[in-house]
Amino acid sequence: MEVLRTEALTINFGGLKAVNEVDFVIGDEVVGLIGPNGSGKTTFLNLVSGIYRATSGHVHFMQEDITDCAPHEVRSKGIARTFQTNRLCLNLSVLDNMLLGLHSRQKSTWWQAIFQPSRCQQELEDNIERCFEVLAHFNPELIDKRYEPVSKIPLIDRRRIEIARAIVGEPKLLLLDEPTAGLNTEETMEMIDDIGRLRESKMKVSIIIIEHDMAVISRISQRVVVLNAGRKIAEGTFEEVSQNEEVRTAYLGG
Amino acid sequence: MKTKINGTNGKIISLATSLGVCLALYICLVSSLTAALLILALGLGLIIYGERKDSIEQVYLSVEKNKPIVLGIIVLFVLVLPFLLHKNNYLLHVVVMAGIYAIVALGLNFQVGSTGMVNFAPAALFGAGAYVSAIAAVKFGISPWLGILLGMVGAALLGLIFGFPALKTRGYYLSLVTIALQIIFTQMIVNTAWLGGPNGIPGIPPYELAGFSFKQSLKILGLTIPYQINYIYLTFIFLGLTALAASRLYTSRTGLAWNAIEQDEIVAATQGINLTKEKLLAFALGAAFAGVAGALYAHYTSFIGYEDFDFSKSLILICMVLLGGMDNVSGVTLGAILLTIIDEKLRDFADYRMLMYSVILITILITRSQGLLPKRTRKYKEKSTGMPCVGQTVTMGGESSGSLKN
Repeated sequence: MEVLRTEALTINFGGLKAVNEVDFVIGDEVVGLIGPNGSGKTTFLNLVSGIYRATSGHVHFMQEDITDCAPHEVRSKGIARTFQTNRLCLNLSVLDNMLLGLHSRQKSTWWQAIFQPSRCQQELEDNIERCFEVLAHFNPELIDKRYEPVSKIPLIDRRRIEIARAIVGEPKLLLLDEPTAGLNTEETMEMIDDIGRLRESKMKVSIIIIEHDMAVISRISQRVVVLNAGRKIAEGTFEEVSQNEEVRTAYLGG
Repeated sequence: MKTKINGTNGKIISLATSLGVCLALYICLVSSLTAALLILALGLGLIIYGERKDSIEQVYLSVEKNKPIVLGIIVLFVLVLPFLLHKNNYLLHVVVMAGIYAIVALGLNFQVGSTGMVNFAPAALFGAGAYVSAIAAVKFGISPWLGILLGMVGAALLGLIFGFPALKTRGYYLSLVTIALQIIFTQMIVNTAWLGGPNGIPGIPPYELAGFSFKQSLKILGLTIPYQINYIYLTFIFLGLTALAASRLYTSRTGLAWNAIEQDEIVAATQGINLTKEKLLAFALGAAFAGVAGALYAHYTSFIGYEDFDFSKSLILICMVLLGGMDNVSGVTLGAILLTIIDEKLRDFADYRMLMYSVILITILITRSQGLLPKRTRKYKEKSTGMPCVGQTVTMGGESSGSLKN
C-alpha cells in the first residue's frame, strides 16, 4: 500500500536547488533517508510537512495531492513529524505537550469551552488517558512527571516526548529528523528500540527517518534512500546502497 | 512544607487567603498611597515566601478545592463594599473603574499573555465598544443593554482587523503595527465630526431596569448610597462572567493552542494548529471583552472622548497584564485592580503622576519580572485518580473559576 509519493519534488532557494526532482515512495515500512550534510534531507521533510512550499513537483499522501497544504492541514491528514533540534514547548508541562499532539483530533471549539465545559471535560479526560498510553510505551515514569515543565526533563526523555507527541494523534506517516542526535550510544539504542516497537504495536505507522548513524539505519530501516546535493542518488536495502559507488563518493568525497 | 492538606486545613487556608486578599484590597483602597504600597510589598513578600517554601501550590490547591468558600467570600465582599464606602463617591468610582479595566485586561491577556502577541492597541478596542454603544444609544435610541452586545460585536470586528497584521508580523514589528493602529483610531475619532470629534459624545443615557435608572442613588436600610453602587454590581457581574470564560478558555484546547503559538509557531503548526484561525480568535475574543467593558464605561460616565482611549491608556492596560502575571486569570484581574487603585492614589502628585507611576512599575517588575502571580503549568481534572484541577486559582478581586467545570 502506497502511503506517500513525491513526484519530481523541487525547491529553489535563490539559485540553489535544495531538493531537486526527488521521486520518493514509501509504503508500510521504515525508510531511512541519508546523505551528507546539506544534501537536502531536512528540507525534504519540511516540504512534505508543508513548512516549505515546493517550487515544482507534487506530494501525494494516501492518493491525495497535498503539495499546497499548510502544515496544520498536513498534520490533520495524518503526517506527523519531529525536529532535528528537539522542539518541545519548554514552558509547558509534559502532558500539555502531549495534548498538543492531539489538537487536530479534538473537536471541541472555543465556543464549547466557554458554554459547554462538561463536554470538553469528557473529551479532555479521554485524551489524557490516550496520552498516558503512549507515554507508557516510551517511559512510564513520564506519566508521574506529567505536570512538570519539559525544561526540567532530561534530553532523552524530551526526545521520547517529542516522538510520543507526534505519534499520539495516530498518524499514518511519521517523519523523524535525527531522533538520536545528542544521545550517547546506549541512549541511542534505547531510542531505536522504542521506535522499532512502535511498528510492532497496534499503531501501524510508516516511518521516514533521517539519521547519520549508519548502525541505526541498518538496524531499523527496511529500505534506504540516499540524497546528495538535493538529488536522489541511490535507493535500496542498506547493503545495496552501501555498495553503491556514487554513494561512497558522496560520503567520502573521493 | 510537604504536609498533607486535609479537608479542614484546606478550608482554613482558602478562607484565610480569600479574606486576606479582600482585606488587603480594601485597605489599599481606603488608605493613603504609602499604606497601599506597603500592603503591596507585604503581599509580594508573602507570595515570594510561599514560592520559596513551595507552599504556594498548596494554597492554589486548597483554594481550588474550596472554590465555593472563596467565591462566596468574594461575592460577599463586593456586595458589602459599597456600604462600607457609602460616604465616598470617589472611592466607589475607583471600584467601578477597577472592574471595567479588569475586564479589558482579561481580554488583552489572550493576545499578550497567552499567544505572545504584543498588542499596543487595547484602548482602541475598549474605545470601539464604548463608541459603538454610545452612538447606538445617542443617535439611534437603542437600549444600552443591547448596546453591550453591539459594543462587544463592534469591538470584536475591529479586533479581527487588528489581528490581520499579526498573521504576517511578529515581535517588535507587530508592536509597531499595533501602535500605529492605536494612533489611527484616536486620530480617526478626533477627525470624524459624526463621532463627536474632539468634543466627544456627551449625554449618553444610563442603564435602566424596569423604570429604575442606574443614575439614581440607592436607599437601603436607611442608608443612601451613591448611584455608583448600581454600576459596581453590574460591572462585577460582567467581570465574574468574563473571568469565568477566560479561565475556561485557559484550560481548553484553544488556550493550549495559544500557548503553543507563543512558544514556537512552526511546532504549533505541525501539531495541526491553524495559526491564522487561532491568532485571529485571540484578537477577536480579547476585543469582545474590551468591547463589553467599553460599553459599560460609556453608559457609566455618560460622556466619552478620544482621550479616554489613547495610547497612554493602552500602555496602562498592558502594564496591568504584565504586573498581574501573564496568562494567569487571577493574576491579571488582581493586577488590573491594584494598578487602577494605585493610579488613582497618584492623583495627588499632579504633574509627577506618570513619573511616580513608572517608578512603582519599574520597582515591581525588577523585583518580580514575571508579575505578581506568574504563569503556572496547567493541572487537569483526570478520570481515574480524581486529581483536583488547579488550572487557575487563587481568586482575587474578580471571580475566576478553575479549570473546566463538571
